[in-house]
Amino acid sequence: MASSSLDTIAQAAHARWGTPASRAAGPADAILDQLPAVVLEPTTVPMLADMLRWANADKVAVVPRGAGTKLTWGRTPPRIGAVLATTRIDGSIDHCAGDLTATVPAGARLEEVNAALAREGQWLPLDPRLADRATIGGIVATNDSGPRRQKHGTPRDLIIGAEMALVDGRTAKAGGRVVKNVAGYDLARLLCGSFGALAIITRATFKLAPRPPASRTIVASAPQARPLADLALALLSSPLTPAAIELQSRPDRLLLRFETTEAAANQQAAAAEALCGAHGVDASMVSGDAEAAVWREHQADLSSADGTLVRVAVLPAQVGDVLGHAERVAAQHALECRVAGRIALGVVYARIGAGEHTRPSPESLRAAIDALRQNAWARGGSAVVVSVDPAIGHVVDPWGDVGDALPLMRALKARFDPNGILNAGHGPGNI
Amino acid sequence: MDQRFLDELGAVVAPGGLLTDAADLFTYESDALVHLRATPGAVVLPVSADEVQAVVRLCHRAGVPFVARGHGTGLSGGALPVEDGVVIGLSRLNRILDVDIPNLRVTVEPGVTNLEITRRVSPFGCYYAPDPSSQIVCSIGGNIAENSGGAHCLKYGFTVHHVLGVEAVLPNGDNVHIGGAALDLPGLDLLSVIVGSEGTLAVVTKATLRILRRPEAVLTLLAGFESIDLAGEAVSAIIGRGIVPAAVEMMDRLTIQAAEAAVQPRFPDANAVLIVELDGPQAEVDEQFAVVESVCRAQGATSMEIARDQAHRERIWRGRKAAFAAMGRVSPNYYVQDGVVPRTKLPEVLRRIRDLEARSGLRIGNVFHAGDGNLHPLICYDASVPGQAEHAEKVASEILLYCIEAGGSLTGEHGVGADKKAYMPKMFSTDDLDAMHLVRCAFDPAGLCNPGKVFPTPRLCGEVPGPYRQHPLERAGVVERF
Repeated sequence: MASSSLDTIAQAAHARWGTPASRAAGPADAILDQLPAVVLEPTTVPMLADMLRWANADKVAVVPRGAGTKLTWGRTPPRIGAVLATTRIDGSIDHCAGDLTATVPAGARLEEVNAALAREGQWLPLDPRLADRATIGGIVATNDSGPRRQKHGTPRDLIIGAEMALVDGRTAKAGGRVVKNVAGYDLARLLCGSFGALAIITRATFKLAPRPPASRTIVASAPQARPLADLALALLSSPLTPAAIELQSRPDRLLLRFETTEAAANQQAAAAEALCGAHGVDASMVSGDAEAAVWREHQADLSSADGTLVRVAVLPAQVGDVLGHAERVAAQHALECRVAGRIALGVVYARIGAGEHTRPSPESLRAAIDALRQNAWARGGSAVVVSVDPAIGHVVDPWGDVGDALPLMRALKARFDPNGILNAGHGPGNI
Repeated sequence: MDQRFLDELGAVVAPGGLLTDAADLFTYESDALVHLRATPGAVVLPVSADEVQAVVRLCHRAGVPFVARGHGTGLSGGALPVEDGVVIGLSRLNRILDVDIPNLRVTVEPGVTNLEITRRVSPFGCYYAPDPSSQIVCSIGGNIAENSGGAHCLKYGFTVHHVLGVEAVLPNGDNVHIGGAALDLPGLDLLSVIVGSEGTLAVVTKATLRILRRPEAVLTLLAGFESIDLAGEAVSAIIGRGIVPAAVEMMDRLTIQAAEAAVQPRFPDANAVLIVELDGPQAEVDEQFAVVESVCRAQGATSMEIARDQAHRERIWRGRKAAFAAMGRVSPNYYVQDGVVPRTKLPEVLRRIRDLEARSGLRIGNVFHAGDGNLHPLICYDASVPGQAEHAEKVASEILLYCIEAGGSLTGEHGVGADKKAYMPKMFSTDDLDAMHLVRCAFDPAGLCNPGKVFPTPRLCGEVPGPYRQHPLERAGVVERF
């Protein structure tokens, strides 16, 4: 990293782009108490690329930012020279309804994109955390998704093309605007979950889905999580096609959502209710406003910034054991821990120590995460710290062991970002 | 090829695993794109991942280029050998290692055929979704290299959506685990570039795949139309009504006739047929099918036939899947093209193809995955007429340009390989290709893993780690270092 002080960086940026494209950082721009030297808010992609070229030449550490909803995820870069925001870049949503595709600027919010697509009865079926604020660029960069992942997958499954700015100031594209396309390397998918460590996404093209005409949700309750895990597995081996199978904690419930035609939604909900009965699990169906309320509440819980959030991924059939293990770990370290999420995909989120009174000591948090991680590893899975309680900060390694492909990931990082200016140390595996 | 190197190769593979006789090498001179041929110096047929690794290590040490090959069904010359290089044939790595029904996973070696997986999990009510037309013979390793699709991509995606993890040998001989049976393993998503890399980044020795539960109901409709345009409008109307069919296939008169002559699917006498398949929960399929039927009727379908059982459905699909091979019944030779257009541009591009057909004097059959705009024009020619093969190739290239001009792609599923690399600059800028090349250099700085494919001009990576050594392509005068 350059030795230039934060002031020098800010002066250089102001001199080049002036206000408002370059401005001093305010308290709202801090990331876990670190203030960037300067906030760059380009209005065009060429301007963004030019800023990146400058940062690269002067070795200024850059943190790309959309709405800023996920900046505390993973490890914060050791130094933040410039925050480079995508949200002021002009660009319209190019919706090709007949092709079931849309090309959208990275700085567009998912909610505004879906409002536009709804005019033609279509949507980008992603429901990640803070979906009302999160931008397309941030969602792609973190490959974040929500309950509907069960049916629709993650951004990686829906992206068909991307445009990006490279550190040397050039822009490049990969993929295209057609759903089926195998020309060239799939850089668009590579950028999914790259945490901005390789390039800055400026536009992305997605395959869309028609908005389902009807939705029903079965709320299945049990005194413990275990029968719910069994129920989730039984659903996987049934012909039912839920859009979401979500575990909730305290009270322990499963939310089973069916989004399809009216008759099919009713039929599937009824079949799911019967399956619950066969597993001795209480079930009730909700629709309309009541259904919307159930999901709003669940999304708010998933989106909460409280505590430390750890994503544990194992095989679907192992989730029951993982839930039991998490409970024992929490008890052992006297921690508050709730587990929720995509139980039938084997991807659940443990929220540890939410709230003032339950904040764990750094030692017990670290010990708990290590225990969750060891248990997941032993099963061929992983435990990744998604977001950490800012009061505890850097006591934990967010990623854990990345395995024998780490040198290859580092080699990729070195090719795309030889000076290591892009979210340095913040990318997956701390690359 | 250097005898000492050959001896070393022979020593690391099981007996019978090294082929050097001209007659043996002949089989490996091309993949299914037979007009591109090259004679490798040796072919190795490893029986284990360890043997693959040992072979790659030797190649890396000696600076010998190598090409991994599955069952040789590729249509873009992706497995075309490097002259005097090594071909690593993976057909003997053909074990299904694990079938995990509760978690819907299978783990296989690369030489397992696509259909074998479905056959194995079928008794459990499961199947493997990607279904390229060559699925009876093509290998999973080849599917991963090409990111193979098939007829059901619109709803179920491609190979990249169904591969969860691989074990692979990198071009430097290191063995790596990428992804795995569990989702969301931490790190960059290297799997997304390995799948579809056309064998240029690594040699996959094991893959964990996602399998799916068979849908509760499947309904297949075969409808005849007076024109391709009317059939195309029916497809637009179906998608416009919010229905994503499991498959939508279209064939024109020439390909219908060919299929009829070859496998007798008993298609209607029409200028175009549409195969629409819906699958999912019974109630959903029933509701959507009523819509599809009324749409086809409104668009003037001249006939409609509904397959409600497996045997009937198989007969219809046999007609579609045999379409390429069937062209041999109506033309001595034919050239298979693979291009993609945004679906809404289909009528426009098909009109251009019809004009081209009239202008070129060559018959062009059209089979396509109408749901996702993937065209497979079949250009008929007679190789015994001097110049006609070259003419057919030119006609095929012109169709590619139509696809790119319409905002599509130069390949939807067959890959770029050696065949289409010259067209990459029509679709991608130098900067785009440079960005892709960064990936290539991270995986294979020495440029030994299937060189000469995908990228339009051979190029080197600069700063090759280790002492300078003249690259084999440099030595041959094919490339310059810059």
